[in-house]
Amino acid sequence: MSVQPAARASASKVWEENAVPRHRIQWCPGCGDYGVLNALKLAFTRLELVPHEVLLIGGIGCSGQIRNYLNGNGFHGTHGGPLAYAVGVKMANPDLRVVALAGDGDTFAIGVENFVHTCRRDPQVTLIVMDNGVYGLTTGQRSPTGGLGQDFPEFSEEEPPPFSPLRLALAAGATFIAQSFSGDPKHAAEVYVQAMEHPGFAFVNDFSPCVTYNKFNTYDWFRERVQPVPADHDPTSLEAAWELLADFRRRGRSPLGVIYRSPRRRKAQRRVPMWPQELEGIDLEPMLRAFR
Amino acid sequence: MTNRLKVLVGGVQLRDGVGTVVDLVGRIATRAGLHVLASERNYASTIYGAHQFDPLLICEEPPLSHGDDQVDILVALEFDSNPDAPQQPNRDTILRHGAHLRDGGVLLYDASTGTVPTEALEARGVRVFPLPARQIALRELKREVVKNMVVVGALFRLLEFDMDQRYLRALLEERFARKGQDLVDLNLRAALRGRAVVEEVLRERGWPDVGYRLEPRPGGEPMLFLSGTDALGIGAIQAGCRFYAGYPITPASPLLEFMDRHLPAYGGRSLQGQNERESIRAALGASLAGARAMVGSSGPGISLKVEEFGLAGAAEIPIVVVDSQRAGPSTGMPTKTEQADLRMAVGAGHGEIPRIVLAPSTLEECYTLITEAFHLADKYQCPVFFLTDLTLAEVRKSVPQRFFQETKLRIVREGVLTEEDLRRDGFRRFRLTESGISPRIFPGTPGGVFKVSGTEHDEFGFVTTDPPKRKAMMDKRMRKMETYLREDARGPQVYGDPAGRPALVGWGSTKPVLLEAQERLRAEGLEVAVVQITHLWPFPTHLVKPVLQAATMLIVCEQNYSGQLADLIQERCLLPTRRILKYNGRVFYVSDIVRGVRQIVRQGITEVRVAEALPVAVEAHEGE
Repeated sequence: MSVQPAARASASKVWEENAVPRHRIQWCPGCGDYGVLNALKLAFTRLELVPHEVLLIGGIGCSGQIRNYLNGNGFHGTHGGPLAYAVGVKMANPDLRVVALAGDGDTFAIGVENFVHTCRRDPQVTLIVMDNGVYGLTTGQRSPTGGLGQDFPEFSEEEPPPFSPLRLALAAGATFIAQSFSGDPKHAAEVYVQAMEHPGFAFVNDFSPCVTYNKFNTYDWFRERVQPVPADHDPTSLEAAWELLADFRRRGRSPLGVIYRSPRRRKAQRRVPMWPQELEGIDLEPMLRAFR
Repeated sequence: MTNRLKVLVGGVQLRDGVGTVVDLVGRIATRAGLHVLASERNYASTIYGAHQFDPLLICEEPPLSHGDDQVDILVALEFDSNPDAPQQPNRDTILRHGAHLRDGGVLLYDASTGTVPTEALEARGVRVFPLPARQIALRELKREVVKNMVVVGALFRLLEFDMDQRYLRALLEERFARKGQDLVDLNLRAALRGRAVVEEVLRERGWPDVGYRLEPRPGGEPMLFLSGTDALGIGAIQAGCRFYAGYPITPASPLLEFMDRHLPAYGGRSLQGQNERESIRAALGASLAGARAMVGSSGPGISLKVEEFGLAGAAEIPIVVVDSQRAGPSTGMPTKTEQADLRMAVGAGHGEIPRIVLAPSTLEECYTLITEAFHLADKYQCPVFFLTDLTLAEVRKSVPQRFFQETKLRIVREGVLTEEDLRRDGFRRFRLTESGISPRIFPGTPGGVFKVSGTEHDEFGFVTTDPPKRKAMMDKRMRKMETYLREDARGPQVYGDPAGRPALVGWGSTKPVLLEAQERLRAEGLEVAVVQITHLWPFPTHLVKPVLQAATMLIVCEQNYSGQLADLIQERCLLPTRRILKYNGRVFYVSDIVRGVRQIVRQGITEVRVAEALPVAVEAHEGE
């Protein structure tokens, strides 16, 4: 797994081919998504992935653009859909490395149905949510995670409190749950590597500040409040995970690192037949038998 | 009458075993070399308790269609669960369908909880057989479930069929191979008890027979008794479908069940989505990964998938979409048939996309045309809609086994580049080509990387709003439809010469009825042509119009309110149409069409809306 420094530098270049050149990236200067982009390149390089074996599925929104800023196959469908597409891709071809890259609005609002059930289905897909609490691309409307850490005097249907993606993932049966901060891409890259090595669905919530529309949850705000998961935390214990989240919540802090990891026993699957020679000349008898 | 009769089996849904009896009789008659057609399954959108009735046509030669709603033999399975306080009188089937029983027909009914006054029927020459089937099963055989077998035994005796129990025994032995001979014997005994009751009535009444017989025609080729859904499923798997996704919905659930049962054995995957959107999204993902993928649903589910059709069109992802239409709008009548989704298939969604709409017209075409659907989806990289309906999905029929085995299919995955191609030519996923068809790859192919998006994009798949690039890409996508019209569109199926005659025009499951109406009209001295359109979109005007314009008038027969195909014909061919429309949830009967044509041709009416006569009570003196 360890790569020579020189090889690593050229490998990182690999991830810039077949992609929108850096100077044409359309994110605001300082956008948290740059940190995710850098961390992804580090992680891919460290894992020695090959671009043609990677499929990046972007969500709708600023964050989903990331699929075009990196080498590798890219797909971009409808709002809220990345995980459902990912499920189908992995079922058809388990050999592909599938990474879903989406925002908090895409994943936890319009796509929450897919989030919940992908946690249950547990395909070997890595989901990195660039969580900034707002719909950036549509100029800053609040998302389900919006208002993190704010003191609300009262709530309404229009303005409910933010919800916790980590707790939702835990409740929905996710087998890998982690959190990272794009202000610390090196740490984020380590988390991504672990997520991609997980033999099931891996969810990473990445705090990725929106410098234009979220003036509350800024880089500095996060720096003061994020803390690494304690070294003695047992990520394989569901109880410990709930306890950890409760503890951080009590203290008004957010954990960074792997919160829960418990691989599920999975049935081995193979790529479905897709080439003509694999499809032709099948025996219909097993189907016809039932109708005599 | 030998070897031509229609049996209608009615009873309380789930409780009385209507489906069991029909399936058994259908299978056995098929094995005996007869042709069975059960094109209506009248059940309700409840699990238990509603009135269910399934007509079954049994003939010596393959019947043209299910014909009319007249029946020769009525089998009523109801009984009162509490005879002291009857709530569900054991005459529901008789009351509802007695009027459709032919003069001189046969009524066989469960008389476990009392007999039913049937004088009015008998006055019409109907031979009535009260059969205490449930009572025999409970009291004598100690197993209620065998009451169906008592009924089958009685029915077979009426028809003087399988008197040596050869067919019945063989079927039971296969079915209960694991459960043991005792169960086989019990069922055979039940059948004999049913037979004995019939023989007693015959003797008492001094009837030598009932005027209807079934005679086996052994030695013919092996036949299967299967549904339109089964045929579609077999066809899809043979056509290379290796990913299916559905969500439980009537009447598309049986397709999901078929795929669940069979796809894994062929290396494929079948997914029950958590909702309609997850289903199609997963299928699009699988298709993107290289699998031939299909989704199936009915109206409400198709409505929920609409956004993804746009994606499949814009991002050029092949997908086959089966819509087993049912009566809408909204939840509509989930278990009743209709053909009202044509407009949706042709136009649903924002923006404009290339799309292909096919509609099979028979069980056999569910099998053959689905192959074409997969080929077209692959070639044109767009959604292909496959419009069946409840009637086609649930029709059960005897089909020669040879029909399925003779087709040796060559599968071509057009436009898919291999590693070798990539080394030679390089790769632009959305290359602007003359045909509009761009090369594609399955992800994972060395040397190729794609960027695919539903956002407008350039040849490489990168996002763009540059006006020339946008126009070029839109033109390229839509050009595929011109290529399709040139290379793959098929003209209508034409029966009879439309020149100088009225033409009955239809699409989907109604074809057999139109063909039988054509015969009946001919017997009346009116020659009409039948024109069946299977390739509905892009509308093949160049192939359809020359056929239609030769006719003296176009009578479009459809099971919807507005005449969706008629409108399409008027829009694309600029030809006036007359219409026969039916949307009460029942299938077209031949008499509906014949009557409608008479009204249109002789009385100059332009639009006939078929209404069904109200159910007629059999008994004039209910209280007696």
